[in-house]
Amino acid sequence: MAVDRRKVAVFSAAFILRLVLVCLFPSLPDLLTGRVEVSTPVNSFKRLQEGLFLYTRNVSPYDGGVFHQAPLLLPLFALLPDVKGNPVPTAVFYFLVDLVNAHALATISESGQSVQSRLHSTIRKHIRWDGASVAAWFLFNPFTIATCLARSTSVFTTTGILFAVSNAVSGNSVNAMLALGLASYLSLYPALLFIPLVLLCYDQRAQKLPNTVSFIMQNASILLSSIAGLLGLSYLITGNFWEFMSATYGFHLLVPDLTPNVGLWWYFFIEMFDSFREFFLGVFWLHLASYVGGLTIRLRRQPLFVITSLLGVFAIFKPYPSISDASLYFAFLPLYRHTFPFMRYTFFAISAILYASLLGPAFYHLWIYAGSGNANFFYAITLVWSLGLSILLADSIFAVLRDEWEQDHPEARGSEVKQV
Amino acid sequence: MALKSAIRNLRNKPDVLFIRLPNILSLLCIVVGVVWLLLLPLNDYSRHTYISENALLPGQVHAYFTGSEQNIFRGYKKELEVLLNEGRENDVSQDEVAVTPAAHNKLHSILQAAGLKVATQKYEYTSAGITHQGENIYGIIHAPRGDATEAIVLVAAWKTADDELNLKGVTLALTLARYFKRWSLWSKDIIFLFTPDSKTGTQAWIDAYHDLQPASVQPLPLKSGALQGALVIEFPFDHNFQSLHIVYDGVNGQLPNLDLFNTAVSIASGQMGMGTNLQEMWEHDDSYQSRLKTILRGMTKQGLGYATGAHSSFMPYHIDAITLQPKGHGWEDEMALGRTIESLCRSLNNLLEHLHQSFFFYLLMQSNRFVSIGTYLPSAMLIAGNFTIMAIALWMRTGFYSDPKTSTLISEPTSEKSSGSKAQCSTEVKIKGNPVAERLLAMPLTLVSGLHLLGLVPLWMFNTLSYQYFTTATYTFVVVDIVLPLLLAALLSNGLGLSAPIVPQQYLLIKSFALLLLGLSLSTLATLNFSLSFMIGLLCAPLSFITRLQGPSAPVRYAVSTLGLLLLNLLSPPIVLLGVCWYTGVSVETVMTQAAFGWDVWGMWTSVVVWCVWWPAWLIGCVLLGSSMF
Repeated sequence: MAVDRRKVAVFSAAFILRLVLVCLFPSLPDLLTGRVEVSTPVNSFKRLQEGLFLYTRNVSPYDGGVFHQAPLLLPLFALLPDVKGNPVPTAVFYFLVDLVNAHALATISESGQSVQSRLHSTIRKHIRWDGASVAAWFLFNPFTIATCLARSTSVFTTTGILFAVSNAVSGNSVNAMLALGLASYLSLYPALLFIPLVLLCYDQRAQKLPNTVSFIMQNASILLSSIAGLLGLSYLITGNFWEFMSATYGFHLLVPDLTPNVGLWWYFFIEMFDSFREFFLGVFWLHLASYVGGLTIRLRRQPLFVITSLLGVFAIFKPYPSISDASLYFAFLPLYRHTFPFMRYTFFAISAILYASLLGPAFYHLWIYAGSGNANFFYAITLVWSLGLSILLADSIFAVLRDEWEQDHPEARGSEVKQV
Repeated sequence: MALKSAIRNLRNKPDVLFIRLPNILSLLCIVVGVVWLLLLPLNDYSRHTYISENALLPGQVHAYFTGSEQNIFRGYKKELEVLLNEGRENDVSQDEVAVTPAAHNKLHSILQAAGLKVATQKYEYTSAGITHQGENIYGIIHAPRGDATEAIVLVAAWKTADDELNLKGVTLALTLARYFKRWSLWSKDIIFLFTPDSKTGTQAWIDAYHDLQPASVQPLPLKSGALQGALVIEFPFDHNFQSLHIVYDGVNGQLPNLDLFNTAVSIASGQMGMGTNLQEMWEHDDSYQSRLKTILRGMTKQGLGYATGAHSSFMPYHIDAITLQPKGHGWEDEMALGRTIESLCRSLNNLLEHLHQSFFFYLLMQSNRFVSIGTYLPSAMLIAGNFTIMAIALWMRTGFYSDPKTSTLISEPTSEKSSGSKAQCSTEVKIKGNPVAERLLAMPLTLVSGLHLLGLVPLWMFNTLSYQYFTTATYTFVVVDIVLPLLLAALLSNGLGLSAPIVPQQYLLIKSFALLLLGLSLSTLATLNFSLSFMIGLLCAPLSFITRLQGPSAPVRYAVSTLGLLLLNLLSPPIVLLGVCWYTGVSVETVMTQAAFGWDVWGMWTSVVVWCVWWPAWLIGCVLLGSSMF
């Protein structure tokens, strides 16, 4: 029961912290909502409000070309009181979503899947954090708090992904696929997590289910039917199937809005000649998707880590990344506490990320408000941000591989690594 | 060869690599940073100013503001003078330079008679328990050749930045309004703005112009297009003047485009033949000392970030603005100032797009010499960099000594295997499979972030207190600054009563995180406000080198740490404030009232930097030094 008490303390402290922030600085949520680092065209709360306004007046929410989020969010938010008049219920709703996310994360951590699975068992089982600590890292991460206060709709995708993983590690593959279906429905890219997630489910119940192909087909059909169901519901809401498909998934895929964000796409596509646009769209998406195969094969023994790394890859190479994607990646990293001793550049990576998160807003200010800088200032900082994340990602993969290698070669523990 | 072997030797001496070398590097960074700044006035490192924007064509037009306009000027002045004197006789209690309602109405009727569209705006601000209120009056000349999408602003405040009655300035603006209205060549609207004072009026007006005003400020009934530039006219005395003093600093150290300043200098000295001054340097002989003094004065103003005149409020909205102040005794009359302004307006009228060609970040050392950001930024960055170097070194040091208990003496050669680079060091530590080698991060992280959040308390306090308590509050804070570090140090040595007792490694980690944050904030700040970053960096420089003393004998340790704490306390924010106040002869209350006013009205964030960057870093330094007593 002691663990439970800690968890309650962490959760209530996180809730109170958010409440205090909102009460002490009433303008903070709106400020954060407007920041390009937090709100992208596909998760912005402001754009959701616009869609909601049109929806409640029986106009298609996609008229006007501002709203690009999944239609099912609209009836959900229509239930909440108007945010202009009464912002507290919406804020509290987001706080609760954060807590639910943290709970799922704690479940993943407590399953011990990160240190011991069917094919893998690290020799450093004693170095790990319990669920409450991992949840605390998630809940007290400034990026998570900023995302939560900015009421970005990415938190629902985060919920989908976290529940998919937490159900998978508890061996509940049907629920995992349903949750992944929700996440994919909301923002498309989580569908790329399907393969490692299926492997994770498979590893959890390998004894009972010997046929791999039928298992994968079964789960794929669950995923597809859940997405189809959600799309059907959306059709009922919007009435015009192709309009909402092109305004949401078409928008994700074709990247027509080049509002600055922390990612690498916007600047590249601003600079590009139009005739090359389709080609490079293909290349960029192919690049993003190509990590799935490589990481899954190389890290076959640890599908949970494949998911973690893929989330890191998404946070860097997605078309519309925001700090909420980074916060999801940072949420998964503490599960691999046992590999931290192998990481070599944590301090530098974290310094780079810290520098980027301070200089980013400063340069954005110089560019947009003061007029004394230009787009290159901000783009340079998004490069630093991505560099910091890449270093962290590469370093964590190195650490996990090294951990695997030591498991295979107990006699060579502690020997030096040489770059060939 | 020698270098190579020296580096190889270094690898074998971790105490040199991790303790002496960072100290030397940090010191070097600070020294080079300061020397760099001192080199800037030299001819080799500074440049002549030049006009980048072709469209400006300064001084290429003939200014016609002469002759009969002077009679109109005299007439307006007489009328206003009479009204002001009457008002003063009627109400003895009134402030000497306060504007009477009659004079205010007169402005309204003159502008209307000249054919301008006129409107007024009431506003009220409350800061530190003082209420500032007034009423702006402004008139717009719609451009005969424009489409009302762009405008230039001419501002005349009833009270100058030095709180003198700006009678001739206001009259000149009125005369110019009548004169400009008759020209058909304007392609931009011209707005004439008359504010009661130089501190609040323009801020209220420009906020309302962009619909960002607080509730206590009225919205503007009449607007024009995007503002391209603003000129503030001051003429607070009756005699003729000698030279033109150009004030250009904005709130938070933001500067107008250098082209605007250059145009003003070029018109004043080239076309009109009068001298120009800047930064109150009346005797500028273009020597090294004068140049350096000008730079330093400019940096002080920029660093403190307060509004230096009515023009400052325009800067946050990306509207380039300067104040023109006539100075000295000479033969230039108000007509010469009027012609200068006419010529400047003609130049601005030529603009095809917003001023963007020239520099936004510069240090001026003479009206025709400057250094640009590329040349001067490294000095602040080096000073900010010294903290980062130290933070990285401390981080590596905490990873290197696997068992913190054996590393009591700083200079003691380590018993660890000492071959190999940093990466190897950290793996070696882990070979032992010894969890002690892990860094204990929770407590240092919590402490450092907690103390930075604690900075919000003085920030809030000094911005909400009423003005009569400022002096008391400052002295109270001096006492708090002496007691708080010792209290924290005592608590820390007992592990805050919560966790296990603190180990020496954690002191190093605390210092590392504090310096990392300081370096981080200062280098970010250097891109926004170079001077503030430079000043805070210099004041914090000792923090790189102080650490927890672990000398052998207690009495020596006590003596040294007490002395160190005393010296450090001399560099604490409130003591520095008191020292500066004593040196300049300004009362603490005035400074703090001004700071609170800046925060409330101008959106000045100097106090945020002081309380949330400087003060926490300083506090952590004191805690580390104080902990050597326990």
